[in-house]
Amino acid sequence: MIRELSFIDVLYLIAAARWTLALTAIAFLGGGIVGLAIALLRVSSLLPLRWLGAIYVHAVQGTPLLAWLFVFFFGLSIFGFTVSPWLAAAAAYSIYAGAFLGEIWRGCLQAIPRTQWEAGASLGLGFTQQLRYVIVPQALRLAIPPTVGFLVQLIKNTSLAAVIGFIELTREGQLTTATTFRPFTVYLIVAAIYFALCFPLTQWSRRLERRLHVAR
Amino acid sequence: MSLVELKNVVKRYGENTVLNGVSLTVEKGEIIAIIGRSGSGKSTMLRCVNGLEPIQGGTVAFNGTVVNDPATDLRKLRQHVGIVFQSFNLFPHLSVEKNITLAPKVVKGVPPAEARALAEAVLRKVGLVEKIEAYPDQLSGGQQQRVAIARSLAMQPQLMLFDEITSALDPELVGEVLKVLEEVAREGMTMMLVTHEIGFARKVANRVVFMHEGKIWEEGPAAKTLGSPRTPELETFLSAVLH
Repeated sequence: MIRELSFIDVLYLIAAARWTLALTAIAFLGGGIVGLAIALLRVSSLLPLRWLGAIYVHAVQGTPLLAWLFVFFFGLSIFGFTVSPWLAAAAAYSIYAGAFLGEIWRGCLQAIPRTQWEAGASLGLGFTQQLRYVIVPQALRLAIPPTVGFLVQLIKNTSLAAVIGFIELTREGQLTTATTFRPFTVYLIVAAIYFALCFPLTQWSRRLERRLHVAR
Repeated sequence: MSLVELKNVVKRYGENTVLNGVSLTVEKGEIIAIIGRSGSGKSTMLRCVNGLEPIQGGTVAFNGTVVNDPATDLRKLRQHVGIVFQSFNLFPHLSVEKNITLAPKVVKGVPPAEARALAEAVLRKVGLVEKIEAYPDQLSGGQQQRVAIARSLAMQPQLMLFDEITSALDPELVGEVLKVLEEVAREGMTMMLVTHEIGFARKVANRVVFMHEGKIWEEGPAAKTLGSPRTPELETFLSAVLH
């Protein structure tokens, strides 16, 4: 069933990229929620909460994303739960991205000098008010470049979801190669599409970084 | 009842004892200057008064409320005790107006229009109304510190703590900040100020407290204490700072 690589294949590849984007969006959303919680745990004034956050981060950063995908997709089905690929991917990517975003954001929160917390506290602001009005607005500016940087990693890491049946960009490339036997060209196109997704983001991030530098 | 009452306060950082049984009372309307070498515990003592530093022994009371009691609502207490820091600690992402109005709005629920008027009023006191829209990094050190004083005044505290507020300033900017401080003093504010400005302490303070090795080594009326020190430590200190 070998056939020529044609323009229609390129369109298929581009179409498959929408799953890459969808996965990225889910991962970023879920990871953002988890990451926010983790970052807050990590700066909490209560030691047990800080530990909880630290244990989570170390556990997730020390295990491969692939393993989480397997756990949710294949692992749970052993116990009789049927998990859709979407649900498995959403869970695994949220856990994974949450740990990394949590660490990034913790760093940004902690980069704000302790004296800013003190100034807020001395004016009678409570912990959450200090966070909301004093710390987070300043940390947000610091957080944008590394967060975008992680987003780029995330786009590329969605290719792992192919193992649980997602036909996203990389997997589509594999399938196209199987029918056309033109791996070099096909994967070059795949790479070009990834580049087209990631490059504007890195550029945007760099611009933001420069602008925030000036504003300081 | 005294406004501030410290009784046998002990503060340790690990093995290091910073305050070693400090007792001091401050009456309403008094202006207390706290002097001493760096490391003598004067800033730490000041920070115990509004509960920024937890203590390991003794009691700190403000207006009858025990500050170091875990049940005390520090947020409530701090509405009545203002503090101005050596490094200003303005909020860099907020304009001068927002720096001043944040706490009144968020903590006390002052409506926006009223808060703006409040900001103008306190800025007038420190002579910076025209900077109301500016951001902290557009101001000189002296101006930033005056805004910090205004921010603290806006909460209408009963007591103000000043922690070496001129130490981070260029010499030519010290004067404008001290002038504002004098103005606040004239209005009858109760003040505790840690300072290296001995001349200013003599002029403005009712009482001088000299701290040494975590203790109150000597205290008394400003002119008398600074004029004729009783302990060799204060004498040495004064001759060192006055050259």
